Amino acid sequence: MIVLMIVAAVGPLAGTVAAACGARGRLAGWVASAGALISLVCAVGLLTAELHRAPLRGWAGYLYLDSLSCFFLLTVATVTLLASVGSVAYLSAEQDAGRLSAFQVRLYYIFFGLFAALMLAALETGNLGLLFVLVEASTLASAALVGLEARASSLEAAWKYVIISSFGVTIALAGTLFLYYSASGLHLAVEYRLAWPYLFSHAHALAPGSLRLAFMLAAVGYGTKVGLAPMHTWLPDAHAEAPSPASAMLSAALLNTGMYAIIRFLAITHARLGDTFPRAVLLTFGFLSIVIGVLFMIRRGNFKRLFAYSSVEHMGIIAVALGFGGLLGLYGALLQTLNHAIAKAVLFLTSGDVALRYKTREAAGVSGLLAAVPVTGGALLLGSFAVLGSPPFGVFLSELTIVRAGFATSSPVFPLLLLALLAVAFVAFARTTTGMVTGQAPADDPVGSPYGGRAVRLAAAAPLGVGLVALLVLGLWIPAGLDTVIRHCVAVMS
Amino acid sequence: MQSLSATSAAGVLLDLSGVLILLLSFACLGSKLFNRYLAYYGAQSVVLSFAAGVAAYAFGSVELWILAVATLAIKGIGIPVSARRLLIQRLELKRDAALSTGLSTSLIAGGALTAFAYLVTRPQLLPHGLVAAAVVPLSTAVILLGGLSMVVRRHTVAQLIGWLIVENGVFLGAITLVATFPFIVEAGIFLDLVAGVLIMVVFVSGLTRRLASASAGDLRELQG
Repeated sequence: MIVLMIVAAVGPLAGTVAAACGARGRLAGWVASAGALISLVCAVGLLTAELHRAPLRGWAGYLYLDSLSCFFLLTVATVTLLASVGSVAYLSAEQDAGRLSAFQVRLYYIFFGLFAALMLAALETGNLGLLFVLVEASTLASAALVGLEARASSLEAAWKYVIISSFGVTIALAGTLFLYYSASGLHLAVEYRLAWPYLFSHAHALAPGSLRLAFMLAAVGYGTKVGLAPMHTWLPDAHAEAPSPASAMLSAALLNTGMYAIIRFLAITHARLGDTFPRAVLLTFGFLSIVIGVLFMIRRGNFKRLFAYSSVEHMGIIAVALGFGGLLGLYGALLQTLNHAIAKAVLFLTSGDVALRYKTREAAGVSGLLAAVPVTGGALLLGSFAVLGSPPFGVFLSELTIVRAGFATSSPVFPLLLLALLAVAFVAFARTTTGMVTGQAPADDPVGSPYGGRAVRLAAAAPLGVGLVALLVLGLWIPAGLDTVIRHCVAVMS
Repeated sequence: MQSLSATSAAGVLLDLSGVLILLLSFACLGSKLFNRYLAYYGAQSVVLSFAAGVAAYAFGSVELWILAVATLAIKGIGIPVSARRLLIQRLELKRDAALSTGLSTSLIAGGALTAFAYLVTRPQLLPHGLVAAAVVPLSTAVILLGGLSMVVRRHTVAQLIGWLIVENGVFLGAITLVATFPFIVEAGIFLDLVAGVLIMVVFVSGLTRRLASASAGDLRELQG
C-alpha cells in the first residue's frame, strides 16, 4: 500500500526524467502522459482500498492517507493526465510554429512533472509542516511554467505569482506555528504535534485562542494559493500567461491542493471551536471571491482571464459550501471540487487550441468556432455550459447541493445571494463564449490545423472528449464508489 | 515541552535578540540606499543565527546548531553579498532604493503594524510558563513589517528581501518558542527559501533583460 502511495506521487516524474535526459518534446510528452496514467491508476487503486480500511499511516505521521486524501489524489491525478495529454499537442504545435525553442519545451516537461509530483506528495502527507514545504515547493516549480514563454508579460505574471504566493504561504506557516503552540498543552511527543490525525483526535484539548489565530492565518495563507479574494490578484495574470495545459494544472489541480490544506485546518478548528467561527471566516472570503470573480467576468477581453476569474468564483463557491457545513455542505463542496476541476481543465485545453489556431488570446478576435473547427467549438460551448452549472452536467448537481445546504444550515439570505450571483455569472461568462463560438468563420483565415500528425491531433481532442463525458456521467449518476468515498470524507471531518 | 525561565540568561538573550531584530526591520523599512537595506537585512540574519545558537545551547539540540550555522552562512552572509554583487555590478542598479510612499508614511505604518501585533498576540494566547513570551508579538511584528516592505518597495529585489524578512520573523517565532520544531520541517523550509531565492533571481534577471529595469513600478502590462 505504501508502495502504491509512493508510485502515485512519483509517476509524473517520469516525464521530468525523460526531458532531463534529453528526450525530444513529443517523446517526453508521451512519457509524461504514461507516468500520469500510472499515477491515476494507483490513485483509483488506493481509493478502492481505502473504502474498507482504516487510514494508512507511515513514517511517524509523515505519510498519511485517508478518504479525503484519496479523493483529492483522484482529482489531481485526473487533471494531471488530461493536462499531460493536452501538453503533447499544444507544445509540439508551439514548437513547430517556432514560438518555443526545443530547450523551452524540455524545461516545460521537467517542471511540469516536478509540479505534479509535488502536489500529489502534498496530498499524501499528514504532517502540516511538511504540507507547507511541499505547497511552497510546488509554487516554485509552477512559477517556471508561468514564465516559460519569457515575454515581458509572462515574466511579470510569474513574478507576481511567485512573490504573492510565497508571502501567502509563509503566512500559512505562521498559522501552522500557532497551531503547534495550541497543541503544547498536550503531552505528545514532538513529531506528533504537527501530525494531523493526532491533532484531530485530541482537538478538544487544544488552546482555543491560538487555534482561532491559527485558522485565520491558515485561511488567509492557503487562501492565497486557492485564489480567494482579496488574495487572488496573482491568479488572472498567472493563469492567462502560462501555456494552456499548465493553466489547466494551475486552475484545476493547484487550487484544489490549497483547498485541501484549508479543509485539514477546518476539520481541527471545527472539532474544537464549533461552527460559528469557521463559518464566519469562510463565508466572508467565499462571498467576497464570488462577487469579485463575477464582477471581473463582465468585461470582454482575454478569454483565459475570463476562465481564471471563473476559477476565483468557483473557489469562492467551494469556500461558501464549507462555510455552510453539515452533510450537504461538505458533500457539495467535495463534489464541486471534482466537477470544477474537470470542467476547468477542459476549458483551458480548448483555450489552448483556440489560441493556436486564431493566434490571439482576445475574445473579440475569435468568432465562428463552431463553423470553422466543430470539435473545439463544441467543446468550448459544452464546457462553458458545464462550468456555469447547467444540467445535465455535474456542476449543476454540486451547486444544487450547496444551495440546499445553505437553506438547511443558515439564514436564507446566503443561498439566495448565491443564486443571484450565479445567475449574473452565467450571463457574463456565456456572453463572451457564445460570441466566440457562433458567427461566421473569419474570411481571411486559414484556421488550418496547427498539429502535425494524427497522433498529435488525437492528443488534442481526446482530453476534451473524455472530460466532457466524465462531466456528463457525473451529472446524471454518481457512482456508488464515489458516493461512499465522499460520505467517508464527510464523516472524517465531522 | 521544556521551557526556559524568562529570567534565565538564555531567556534574556532571546528577548534582546528579538528586540534587535525588530529594530533592524524598522531600519530596513526606512533605508533609502540599497547598500544599507542589504546590510541591515544581513545584520538581522546574524542576530537571528545568534538567537538560534542561544536556543540550541539552552536546549542542547544539535539540529538547532546546524540551523544556526546555516542561517549565518546563507542568510547572514551569502544572500547580502551576492545580492550586492548582482545588483550593483551586473544590473548596475542605481543606489537609491525607491519607495512608493514617503519615508515618514512608511515608518508610521510600520509603527501602527507593530502596535497591532502587540494587540493581537496577547499573552493569554500562549500556554503558561512559556519563555520569552515577549518574542511572540515581536516576531508577528517582524512578519508584518516584512510584508509592508514588500508592498512599499519599488524594486523587485527589494520585494524579495522583504519576503526574506518575513521568513526571518517566522523563524524567530519557531526557534525561540518551539525550539523542538521537527527538524525535517525546518530543513524543508530552508530549502524552500534557497530555491525560492534562486528562482526569483532568475526572474529578476529576465525582467531586467526584457524591460531594461526590474522596477516593480514598471510592471504595468497586466491589469484588470
